[in-house]
Amino acid sequence: MNPAGSIEALAVAKAMRENLWLYPAVEIVHILGFVLLVGSVVMFDLRVLGLSKQVSVRALARHLLPWSFAALVLIVPTGMLMFAAHAGDFISNRAFQVKMALLVAAGLNMVAFHTGPYQGVASWDTRASAPAWARVSVALSIAIWVAMIACGRLLAYL
Amino acid sequence: MKAYVRAATLFTLMSLPALAHHGWSEYDATKPLTVTGKVLESGYEHPHGHIRIEAPGKTWHVVLAPPSRMENRGLAPAAIQKGQTVTVVGYANREKAEEMRAERITAGGKTVELR
Repeated sequence: MNPAGSIEALAVAKAMRENLWLYPAVEIVHILGFVLLVGSVVMFDLRVLGLSKQVSVRALARHLLPWSFAALVLIVPTGMLMFAAHAGDFISNRAFQVKMALLVAAGLNMVAFHTGPYQGVASWDTRASAPAWARVSVALSIAIWVAMIACGRLLAYL
Repeated sequence: MKAYVRAATLFTLMSLPALAHHGWSEYDATKPLTVTGKVLESGYEHPHGHIRIEAPGKTWHVVLAPPSRMENRGLAPAAIQKGQTVTVVGYANREKAEEMRAERITAGGKTVELR
């Protein structure tokens, strides 16, 4: 059996397909998770882009970013459950392939932001413009997350 | 303020694809089909149930509704099991010639709306 087939054969994958309410329940948790993640990330990104400059970037990061990470606990396992139910279909679906590539891009962009411009945040924390490369990174972040949601939805149509 | 308006506009435009939530636009609703055949294969599965039926001259893959809805409306798994004869009214997929989605199904002596 191919790897996708053996994932689909797992008891949990079968339960996802056949249990009446498991699939929709998992979808709801997945949505709740990415609302929290994308919401908190985009609010942070807009601040770095220059909106509400009276708000401290570091204070906002302390408030929002733990929620972004916590949301992954809701998103990743539920995403894996839905993937398991129809692994073969997902793997060959172009929207899914693009979505996973975007996920990697979002992760790399985040690491680049936090190890790059964010190291100097003290100088642009409040009532100051973030450096250009910080603004490019957060603009990219918004675009990536919006595209990822679009791919997630388009999965059902391609 | 201008920046907020710009941001809001951008999001609205970018989220347009998401509004297509299950519009089923890939099926041609202008030409309803009625197909009767014997079930060769069935799946009472998420996200949509499905059957493969053998109709005169053609085998159709028919996309049904989520199992939670089918159960709710009284379409039991047994009614669409392999070997049963069913009638579906639905629309053909514009690209996949073998595929249709069912608007309603008559199985086990009963007609169930799937939308």
